[in-house]
Amino acid sequence: MSPHRIFITGIGVAAPTAIGTDPFWRACLDGIAAVAPIPAHWFNYHPPSSTLWAPLPDFDYRQYNVNRIERMQIDTATVLGLCACKQALDDAGLITEQKDEKKNTFAVEGIDPARCGVFFGTGMAGIAGFALNQAFHCFSPIKERLGDGSSADSLLRMPARFNPFAVSQIMPNATAASIGIKYSITGPNTTFANACAAGTVAVGNGFRAIRAGRCSMAITGGTEYLGDEFGGVFRGFDIAKTLVRDCVEPEKANRPFDAKRSGFLFAEGGAAVLILESQEHAERRGVKPAAEITAFAESFDAHSLMALDPEAGPIKTMVRSALDEAGLTPDRIDYVNAHATGTQLNDEVEARLIDEIFGKKPAVNATKSLVGHTIGASGAIEAAVTSLSIRDQAVHACKNLETPVRDLNFVTASGPQEIRAALKNSFGFGGHNASLVFTRP
Amino acid sequence: MTTGTIEQRVISVVTEVLRVDPAKIMPSSRIKEELGADSLDQVSLIMSLEDEFKGSITDDEAAGLVTVGDAVNFIEKKAELQTA
Repeated sequence: MSPHRIFITGIGVAAPTAIGTDPFWRACLDGIAAVAPIPAHWFNYHPPSSTLWAPLPDFDYRQYNVNRIERMQIDTATVLGLCACKQALDDAGLITEQKDEKKNTFAVEGIDPARCGVFFGTGMAGIAGFALNQAFHCFSPIKERLGDGSSADSLLRMPARFNPFAVSQIMPNATAASIGIKYSITGPNTTFANACAAGTVAVGNGFRAIRAGRCSMAITGGTEYLGDEFGGVFRGFDIAKTLVRDCVEPEKANRPFDAKRSGFLFAEGGAAVLILESQEHAERRGVKPAAEITAFAESFDAHSLMALDPEAGPIKTMVRSALDEAGLTPDRIDYVNAHATGTQLNDEVEARLIDEIFGKKPAVNATKSLVGHTIGASGAIEAAVTSLSIRDQAVHACKNLETPVRDLNFVTASGPQEIRAALKNSFGFGGHNASLVFTRP
Repeated sequence: MTTGTIEQRVISVVTEVLRVDPAKIMPSSRIKEELGADSLDQVSLIMSLEDEFKGSITDDEAAGLVTVGDAVNFIEKKAELQTA
């Protein structure tokens, strides 16, 4: 029996450039990027080298089946995941019906919940909620000694209380679990913590579960929220010298694959969800897929917790293995959605390996040049972009790419592009690498 | 923030958290025994009251809020203290 074909039938995105798949994709094609100064009060704690980030727009969480009571109990990372999930279910034409008003849970009509899985990635899960609760925990006795109205209040920035839901707010599996509970999905429910590759690994594992016949449908994706009250997470990336350092011209600071790149643009957060279905499941529902996934491969650098292996041996092996699984030769890849963070080493290594394996034929772009780096959500957001590129046969440009690091077919202007097959790569801190191959159904 | 008297606003929060018919909520209604709040509901209710009235309720104070009327009286007293 031939393996199941796996279709992407629904996409949801919450990103610094826009909330909602359509406005997000329009913003990509229009070259709209998110960049702004970091919150001024972060300077009260530490003067960072990087001074820019990609903040999220305000949005009304209540539009995405999250009520005020839940909002107080869950981390923003989970709110973003639920936001992308609701969009993706709607996009897939899946109707949800309220199951329990008090718990605010829903059932998805027309699916077998035991044959549906949730596969979700995150880098740092509820770290912002952790920081806030820890602030309350550590600063309460200090505030008591200082008394009300102390000049230190503006530094303490204490929440009103230690959140009684702190544990379930912080735990890495909170988003996957919340999606499963919210939509009464009872198949496998797993969280992947592979840093910047987490979203890609999650989508890949959903793909594998359907291909193996364990699931008929999978809710896959990734989420991240790193805008903690004190800027401590930002400081962690800043002190590691990974963030954009040339911040004089904010609009031009984020420039993956450019000779003048100086690091990645830290994103406040983001999330994306891709609904995957077996061909039979999608056809039974009469839904038209955006794209098909035909391969998933992983490798590990075994080199450094913080730096890519410059030789990229395991990445090359992984990409070739993904192409083998997809039954494609390198010349059949029309588009590469690169990891492309904007750090010196990453972009140089990735550009070289694209050149070595694919040459100058495929169109190459960097979604992070628009969105910034959403860490555990980035692979899922970029998988969404790759799917939308195949659906619409169009690619977005690399923002701020003036002097390419290598002579490749970088996309310098958004527009039509024939894409029969595409590759999405992600490389995460720790040394986790993941590739997905997408094709036109 | 909900408008109305403190009692109306407390009942509105209780309704939002416990999803019970507001017509069945009396000042004498016992939150746990009569309105069916389990331990997580009780914690959610305290958080929601804090959010609604923009104040903090200590664990000891929360333990004393057995009926809806207790919550109303507690919040009214706190409001009086703040305006005094």
